[in-house]
Amino acid sequence: MFQFIIRRTVGALVTLILIGAATFFLFVAAPSDYASLACGKDCSPARLEDIRQALGLNLPIHQQFWDFMSGIVMGRDFPTGHCSAPCLGQSFYSGDMVWSTIMDRFPTTLTLTAGGAVVFVIVGVGAGMIAAYKRGTMVDKVATGVSMVLSSFQIYVLGPIVLLIFVYSTGWMDNPAYHPITENPWKWFTGLLLPVLVMATIFTAQYTRMARSSMIEQLAEEHVRTARAKGMSNKYVFFRYAWRGSMIPIVTVLGIDISAMLGGAVVTELTFSLQGIGRLAVDGAVHKDLPLTMGVMLFGAFFILIVNILTDIAYAYIDPRVRLS
Amino acid sequence: MTSPVALDPELESNAEPVKAEPKLEGRSPGQLMWQRFKRDRTGVLCAVVVILYFVIALAAPLLTKLSGTDPYTLYGQDPTYADKPVLDQFGLPLGYFGGVSGDHWFGVEPQYGRDLFAMLMYGMRTSLFMALGVTVLLMATGVIIGLIGGYFGGRTDYWIGRVTDFFLSFPQQLFFIAFMPVVTAFFVDPREATPTYFRALAMLIVLWLLGWMGMARLVRSTVLSLREREFVEAAKVSGASPWRIVRKEILPNVVTPILVQFTFSLPSTILTIAFLSFAGVGFVEPTPDWGRLFAAAADYTEQDPAFLFFPGLALVIFVLAFNLLGDSVRDAFDPKSGR
Amino acid sequence: MKPISSRRARAIVVALAAGSLALTACSKNEGGDSGADSKKDQKEASVQSKAVTYADAAGSTGPAEAVPGAKTGGTINVYQEAGLSHLDPGQIYVSDAGQVANLLFRRLTQFKEDGKGGVSVVGDLATDSGKSSDGGKTWTFTLKDGVKDQNGNAITSADIRHTVERQYAKFIFDGPTYLQTWLSGADYRKALPNGGFDGKHLPDSVLATPDAKTVVFHFDTARPDLPQTLAMAGYAVVPEKTDTKEKYDKAPVATGPYKIASNKVGKELVLTKNTNWDPKTDSVRHQYADSFDLQFGITESTQTKRLIADQGADKNAIQLTGGVESTQIQDVIGNAAVSKRTVKGYQPYVMQLTFNLDRVKDIKVRQAITYAVNSKSLIAGEGGAYGGDVAPNYFAPTLPGYEATYDPYGRLKTPQGNIAKAKEILKDVPAAEKKVVFAYSNSEAGQKRKVAIEDALTKVGFNVVSKEVDSASYYEQIGKLNNPYDLYITGWGQDWPSAGTVITPIYDGTQVADGSSNYSHVKDPKVDALIKKALSEDPTAAAATWKEAQHYLLEKVIPAAPLWYTKQFQLSGSNIGGARYGSVSSLIDINRLFVKS
Repeated sequence: MFQFIIRRTVGALVTLILIGAATFFLFVAAPSDYASLACGKDCSPARLEDIRQALGLNLPIHQQFWDFMSGIVMGRDFPTGHCSAPCLGQSFYSGDMVWSTIMDRFPTTLTLTAGGAVVFVIVGVGAGMIAAYKRGTMVDKVATGVSMVLSSFQIYVLGPIVLLIFVYSTGWMDNPAYHPITENPWKWFTGLLLPVLVMATIFTAQYTRMARSSMIEQLAEEHVRTARAKGMSNKYVFFRYAWRGSMIPIVTVLGIDISAMLGGAVVTELTFSLQGIGRLAVDGAVHKDLPLTMGVMLFGAFFILIVNILTDIAYAYIDPRVRLS
Repeated sequence: MTSPVALDPELESNAEPVKAEPKLEGRSPGQLMWQRFKRDRTGVLCAVVVILYFVIALAAPLLTKLSGTDPYTLYGQDPTYADKPVLDQFGLPLGYFGGVSGDHWFGVEPQYGRDLFAMLMYGMRTSLFMALGVTVLLMATGVIIGLIGGYFGGRTDYWIGRVTDFFLSFPQQLFFIAFMPVVTAFFVDPREATPTYFRALAMLIVLWLLGWMGMARLVRSTVLSLREREFVEAAKVSGASPWRIVRKEILPNVVTPILVQFTFSLPSTILTIAFLSFAGVGFVEPTPDWGRLFAAAADYTEQDPAFLFFPGLALVIFVLAFNLLGDSVRDAFDPKSGR
Repeated sequence: MKPISSRRARAIVVALAAGSLALTACSKNEGGDSGADSKKDQKEASVQSKAVTYADAAGSTGPAEAVPGAKTGGTINVYQEAGLSHLDPGQIYVSDAGQVANLLFRRLTQFKEDGKGGVSVVGDLATDSGKSSDGGKTWTFTLKDGVKDQNGNAITSADIRHTVERQYAKFIFDGPTYLQTWLSGADYRKALPNGGFDGKHLPDSVLATPDAKTVVFHFDTARPDLPQTLAMAGYAVVPEKTDTKEKYDKAPVATGPYKIASNKVGKELVLTKNTNWDPKTDSVRHQYADSFDLQFGITESTQTKRLIADQGADKNAIQLTGGVESTQIQDVIGNAAVSKRTVKGYQPYVMQLTFNLDRVKDIKVRQAITYAVNSKSLIAGEGGAYGGDVAPNYFAPTLPGYEATYDPYGRLKTPQGNIAKAKEILKDVPAAEKKVVFAYSNSEAGQKRKVAIEDALTKVGFNVVSKEVDSASYYEQIGKLNNPYDLYITGWGQDWPSAGTVITPIYDGTQVADGSSNYSHVKDPKVDALIKKALSEDPTAAAATWKEAQHYLLEKVIPAAPLWYTKQFQLSGSNIGGARYGSVSSLIDINRLFVKS
């Protein structure tokens, strides 16, 4: 296990550097850069040059890349002040340090992710298991039917409808916003409740279906049949015995979803006007803000890599037959 | 309690002693699967619905000939149609239910007044086939990579895993934005418009390159637990080559999650293509696109719900039918699932 | 175990979902008047386009006239989509930061509106709108007594000198450049590379500060518009002693009624009362609300929905530069209570389809296109009658010298385009010249415009090849001299109410260069001569020259086909008082707002 972790960590570091290089390269290859964007209308070559100098864009590419990557570990100095490690650069557009901007937006994203994950697992997997348990009955049909219909909805359709009902016409709830949990736990909960529920409504279906079909498969396995033959109750077999085997595909999908959400749930954030990592990524791309984009990409990649490692470790715990190499 | 192998009812009723004894043929798993599938009425219905969608999509030009409209004419803005106004002062459709009338069976689109029926028919064509192509490619690639990584383990799995990680963390949006102009500038004459088939090809490549990872990880995870199973050991002991084991022992048991994922992927690909189109790197206006139609309609949910209704209903029905079909196929495929 | 009933169950679920939406759609839309009266709007606009007067000391002395019913106290929430990239006044050129600058920063002069369309330039830090001498080549300003910044330090002429000189430094690159180029020429940075931070200053022959209260500008040619230029946010005062250079962008020193309490770029900006602002020295601004809370990241669609719903905190809210989203205009107009809470007026922008004169050489082609374009379909995308009006010529209704009926191409009679006439003009044009490459911005809006343009031009017989351009770099791409396009949509708005800020930047042949705003690359000697003449004349004579220039351009040269004028339509919450359209900012006049309860 220890060796596994070491190998994967080294792999993750190398991947991060490659991602950084890929992002950097794509940025440079794209049609134009921040300077020309900022220069806007009435742009003389002299003014363009001024902007590029001010942002360090006139340095050679490899120099810029090295400055950025080394800054992550060693910190960097800017005209506006020192940026201590981990320094993800200074945003071209806002002039703020990327790391502090990311940290400012992260709690929103984290709350959305955590909330989503909780609902996926409890409601989604739970409904799927119950549907499998009561296979063929009305419960099963309603559960699968409802989840399928809901999954064909989209956030940008369901979101505004939910907002219309709960916020705009009735005023039952305030505009969704992030309130720090340390300030007011209840407001923290209710503030992001609507976005989490909408997100959950749409994506839970995948878990329901995966859980249901996985469970059905498990129930046909020999060890389950043996357990039943030995006289174990259906309930015990189901909820204590068979579920482990069915968890692996669920854990995989959960891992992918969590790492994707930690990288920023763009559509949810746009629909509910939330300030999370997803918006930052979009802003960075729209403004051609290289440091911001790099920072957000590396941040997101970090989580993807960590979650993948954790997921793989989880496989070994769930299913003892799995050998990690 | 699982039931014993059912004696085929057709076989029973066909017993006629006068004729020569019908040869008792063994049925291949494929034939058995087909039998089981045919018996599932829901599954058959869903299959019909899905096929119907693809047929409609192909027949779009015929259908619009019938309706007398096309997806490109701006009925609401074109001066030649000024005598038959379809939009009001705010650009919203006149009449009932978004402008449904004898001329415009599904009504018209706000602002430009294009015929919704025609746009939907052609849009389905673009989206369905594009999404089908992409999803099949994704699935095939993801399954193969997942199988190889999961089964062979060791260094192979490690390197495949790192490549998967890399693509998972890859800045997709950035890639789209950077990729399209560069490739377009390379292959397309600056004096010519970018042809639609070129866009389709570029999108196919990009979506394929950046979409296979989910399936790969899913398959790999299932294979990880499968490869330690007894029947795999048995196959190994009996001298089967790794490829044979992967094909005959492992693959059939991975079908369930693959199918679930496939039936999920197709509709979501339709919508991903829509987002690409909005961002300008997919199918651009005026190429009709089902997903983009749906996304544009979302803006008008309150003012003109009919605009959302038709593409939305079509999508809901398709998703339902397609998912149910997937479930039925899986049930038919898996003899242990006890029907 | 046949799951038949599940089908029915599912069908019911689907039907319910669809049915609820259907019920809303079932009512019949009879159409009818949207209430937007183009003629009335234009009449109001022509009031917006009256010439600006320069006021004397009386008009510049505070306090400002009280807003009827105004109360003090409360917080005003401001909703905006994108964050502000600069708070350093020297870097401010765009309208969002400019609107915030109205609350934070004072300049030598500022605009004053009487609400009936009269706009005058009054002294803000200066006692009046400036005294010109030497044929308009010299301008003298005297500073008011008792003006302090937020730290309690008095504003002196040294601060004004510093404000001007720091613009020459490299770290100021986003603000206006008018004053610098007028003082020191096109290559102004060479005159003072360190922006005055190293002790070197501009010579007295250019900028003189004989005592702590007097500032004198010397130009090499008459600059009658100087008082209007100095009213821009870009020239707001930056006190010398507290200038932190690059850091100033996050924490500038305020001289207006409000100062920055906290600033999270892209997320939230909170302004609170500046206790050192003396209302007796300010003839325009007020300090009614206790604070302003600017929240970013809220899309225009959400802003509109919130303000229509008017719930909770939204009652105290306004929009910064956003307007009513085009798809929701009907919801606003159709509801009398909501409609009352709007302000509207013309923006100074004219959208036009610019021709690349280096490529589209045949004037017949340009004429045909100008006749053929369908302004109405383009405006439909902007929100219909509330988003824009058909533009018959190059001057916006907000510009002095605007002629509402000057319509050489019949755009007002046939806003959907005159296909027949265009076809006739094109009769003898060879096929090769009927192929045009149209560049469009690769965004949702850009794609919609492409549909309209393609549709109109194809009908007339053109072969339109549309090329997408990355929307973020759109202006940079079409600004290249050797761009590969024939047509592109551009928009331009006056910087202050003078045709000099419209015709000069876009039609002056001497300004054709990479990145310049002369997107059509027009180099007509007659036009250049007229421009030169107008710039040196006094406003009344200049008006006639500008008129001649416009007529000549539009009828004989046709560097662009005018498309539409843009309109602003903003909402505010029910608890906001004093809301009025500011014709200078083309936004709600933020200096008059108060919280009702």
